[in-house]
Amino acid sequence: MRIFRFLLIVGLLLAAPIASVAAQETGVSSATIQVDGLSCPFCAYGLEKHLKKIAGVEGVEINMKSGKAIVRLKPNVQVDDAALKTAVKKAGFTARSITRP
Amino acid sequence: MMYWTWAVALLIGLIAYPGTPVAGPITFNSALPVAEGMSILRSQVKLTRKSGDTTPAGRVLNVTAAPVVLAYGASSKLALFGVLPYVDKRLDMTTGGTRIRRDAQGIGDALFFGRYTVIQVDKPGDTLRIAPFAGLKTPTGSHTQSDAFGLVPRILQPGSGSWDPFLGVALTRQTLDWEFDAAAKYRFNTEASGFTFGDEARADASFQYRIFPRTIENTGVPAFVYLVLESNLIWNGKNRSLGVTDPNSGGLTWNLAPGLQYVTDRFVLETAIQIPAIQNLNGTTLESDWVWTAGFRWNFFF
Repeated sequence: MRIFRFLLIVGLLLAAPIASVAAQETGVSSATIQVDGLSCPFCAYGLEKHLKKIAGVEGVEINMKSGKAIVRLKPNVQVDDAALKTAVKKAGFTARSITRP
Repeated sequence: MMYWTWAVALLIGLIAYPGTPVAGPITFNSALPVAEGMSILRSQVKLTRKSGDTTPAGRVLNVTAAPVVLAYGASSKLALFGVLPYVDKRLDMTTGGTRIRRDAQGIGDALFFGRYTVIQVDKPGDTLRIAPFAGLKTPTGSHTQSDAFGLVPRILQPGSGSWDPFLGVALTRQTLDWEFDAAAKYRFNTEASGFTFGDEARADASFQYRIFPRTIENTGVPAFVYLVLESNLIWNGKNRSLGVTDPNSGGLTWNLAPGLQYVTDRFVLETAIQIPAIQNLNGTTLESDWVWTAGFRWNFFF
């Protein structure tokens, strides 16, 4: 009985990280938008707000120097490129390209 | 002479066109975007001192103005603006051998205008925008205030009493390192209660250069500090009272305004001092000594 309990605990401990990695691979994703025209910190706020308004967007990180907006998407939610481009346009900028890992 | 000066100022603006970085000029409007649905609240305090009176009255005018501006992005290209100022005007002068003060305070004339981006060229870390604008100055300020000496002169009243349309165009070139703005504006002043202020035309230019941080890290949205130099060329026509032109009003002023801006993603702090470089004023019109401006901008979504 003790051996069985020990094996069960070991098995669960080993399975937990594997399950976590599997969840990341199947659910969590991101999109990187190259935003043209973004050259001022004060203007970046509008871009961040519009991207965060999209259903399925979990978070946004803007890199001012590279002009990239990295959009983290909620697990198992589809966000198409058109929605991202529309958000960038509403903020007053131009989405040059969108790449996904 | 006047046309020549205007031409030179515009030419300098076009030649200097190599750009501007962030947050826009301090003493006039830019063509930078207001995101759709976003609002920007801007407030300033402006202290103006005018003197140099060549008459025995020895007039000295001090004006404190606190305009509050609300901008709203109706779309990514159309921005709507409303401006409501509070003004306090004090005129010290000698009359009958006695030094007296005439003054008036209150809400000034509100401005409403729209700006539409007609040209937008975006590149990585670089944008060029050209946006015409048009609006109306409305007579929300009183123009019938009195003090102990009677009805206050029209130039001291908080409002003009008139409905004055204006139009213009703004140009902005912005990169990560610098920003250049230029704007031209004309206001058609109309008559109110027998008095008409002279029309106003102005040509403005602003160059902002990022001095901090010297290099931008490859992450996040850092705060920027800009060194600012602005130029304001302002022409005022002569006033008319009951159909008679006032020869002691109007003229041409060219101001230079060094300043500083601290810009973050949520707010801007700014200050500048306008110093007259050239004043070619009519008759005994008071000369401007300086105009000091300090203010903030804050962006938000309802």
